Amino acid sequence: MARIRGKSKTAEILTLDAAVKKYALSGSQIAFSGFTGFNRNPFAFAWEMVRQGVKDIHSIDRHGSCCTWLLNAASAIKIFETDWMGWGEMAGKLDINLGRNYKAGKVILEDYAHGAMAMRFLAGAIGAPFIPYNAPLGSDLYNEKYDALGKAGLRDGKNPKIAKKKFIQMEEPFWGNGDTVLLPAAMPDLAVIHVAKAGDKGTAHWRGVGTIDKEISFACDKVVIIAEEIVPEAEMRKYPEANQIPYFVVDAIVECPWGAFPSSVPYYYDYDAPFMRVMDAASRNPDDLNKFLDEWVYAPASWEEFLIKQGAKKLLDLKAESTGYSTRMLRGKKPAPRMKMPLSVARSGY
Amino acid sequence: MAKSMEELMELIDKIPDTPAKPGEFILPELMAIAIAHEVHNDDVVFAGTGLPMVGIMTANFTNAPKATLIYESGICDGKTMHVPMSVCDQRAANMSSTLGGLVDTFGYYLQQGYVTLGFLGGAAIDKYGGVNVTSIGDYYNPSHRFTGSGGNSDIGTMAHRVAYIILQEKRRFLERNDYTTTPGWWCWDFKTNEWKPKKEVWKNTAYANNGPCGVVTNMGVYRFDAEGIIYLETCHPGITVEQVKDNCGFDLNVSKLTGDTPCPTYQELFILREFVDPELIFLPAKTPYTPDIQAIIDKG
Repeated sequence: MARIRGKSKTAEILTLDAAVKKYALSGSQIAFSGFTGFNRNPFAFAWEMVRQGVKDIHSIDRHGSCCTWLLNAASAIKIFETDWMGWGEMAGKLDINLGRNYKAGKVILEDYAHGAMAMRFLAGAIGAPFIPYNAPLGSDLYNEKYDALGKAGLRDGKNPKIAKKKFIQMEEPFWGNGDTVLLPAAMPDLAVIHVAKAGDKGTAHWRGVGTIDKEISFACDKVVIIAEEIVPEAEMRKYPEANQIPYFVVDAIVECPWGAFPSSVPYYYDYDAPFMRVMDAASRNPDDLNKFLDEWVYAPASWEEFLIKQGAKKLLDLKAESTGYSTRMLRGKKPAPRMKMPLSVARSGY
Repeated sequence: MAKSMEELMELIDKIPDTPAKPGEFILPELMAIAIAHEVHNDDVVFAGTGLPMVGIMTANFTNAPKATLIYESGICDGKTMHVPMSVCDQRAANMSSTLGGLVDTFGYYLQQGYVTLGFLGGAAIDKYGGVNVTSIGDYYNPSHRFTGSGGNSDIGTMAHRVAYIILQEKRRFLERNDYTTTPGWWCWDFKTNEWKPKKEVWKNTAYANNGPCGVVTNMGVYRFDAEGIIYLETCHPGITVEQVKDNCGFDLNVSKLTGDTPCPTYQELFILREFVDPELIFLPAKTPYTPDIQAIIDKG
């Protein structure tokens, strides 16, 4: 829903720990940027949330990411309203920490689908209360029996951030196009968006895919931008068509180089597949997980120390080449080949 | 001395495009190439992470170089040089036409009707092509909980045709799913509580005639008949009809079996091994070439 404002927001530049303290409140609804564990996850922010003991998060999202992996590892997520919770063996299987918490009854899972969540955030972004979408009729996602928030008694209208219904199936009233599904807007308390560059006034920019980060930024009450670098606002005005987020939606800017590690920031650095495998392996038993959290989350005095512990060699290997990614990091069992041209283009053009 | 990628590219046309023999390739290679064969040159393909992505990348390098590849994070027609690990890997966005986001891919491309072929995975499938990627057992207290839909339910119903790749086991090939994430040719009409042909449930929508066109498993390739019921089309080399039936939870129609799944050609295998996944991210190991193919490669 629209939030009518009497005056413009003014973005403040904060440190990582100050931004978490001020904006990541226990019990709030939070959406993180990026897509899956591989692209622009604001991991440093989630890392600091766990260190500060933020709890009972209602994560409203469309992916299992490095952020949700860590928050689940610390059992900080109470409601996970999303559509894809992969992380096991680094993507295709359920996040093991989440699976454990779910089995123990510590987390409520509400299922949607990628398209549905994208549309819900689009509705939230444009100030619409709901959006019609041709969501799959006959899918149990849109079966009233399977409404986890409803079953938990949370759709009683008392929480202004939880819709009174999961969905409504109705006959499309304008054109006679059969049935369609109405989905409630998503409008969380906080958006945490990791970007490549932000101006000191708040204008933000990234390269590579957009996922739904622009929609999330407009859909949420508060927006914290985590940037690889903060540059003079004038720098951002040279190519305004390349910017995605205007300054007036931004509440706070944090400069945090490598803050999306171990996910990637295209044209800055690649994802660290080996470290993500270490995370996944650690989640397989509680002792290993506690050891991982002690070593990588609680022990370092700061995010900089976390990076120093990762080692310069690794960070150099991850630095992006002209393609936007790195071919120096061993992702599989063999090194990446040196390619000049995609085979399809070399042989058949476009 | 290892060959450069340019030298390997020059070699492609010297490798015979004739079928390899069973034993000269491994099952994931056969499956990736079977997926590739589903793709036509004029398709707009929307594929999920994992083997579907490897398969359509192979198609783009072999039989369908002009096919358009859409990845759900917002990528339109990526021309990939290195196999992506995820649908939002920058590798998948290489030389793409446009880069947007999920609203672009699920709204502008998919809901708008541009996507001709969806290629997806699944944890379980029913006799009618309905797919479950959510949970087994009681939804609220499941014996197995999977990742959830992701793009599966949207792509699987709004793409004109959709193909699945699924590991075949008795508990994954079912008369009915415990939870239907993506409906197949038959599904529940929740308004009347009746099990119906999808065409009736989706009546008057633009998507009523969309549905599953094929399933590739570790044992065979499947199609759907006019009633929307799955049947076995081919068995992979070395797999018998009895083995297939033993790994199916319902009475499978095997009367339309046409024979063995075609073996990949030497050229297709060369492209898959050298250009699609030489980093061995999805393929478990590099299978050695036969002596005569290796001789062609060594000679240059």
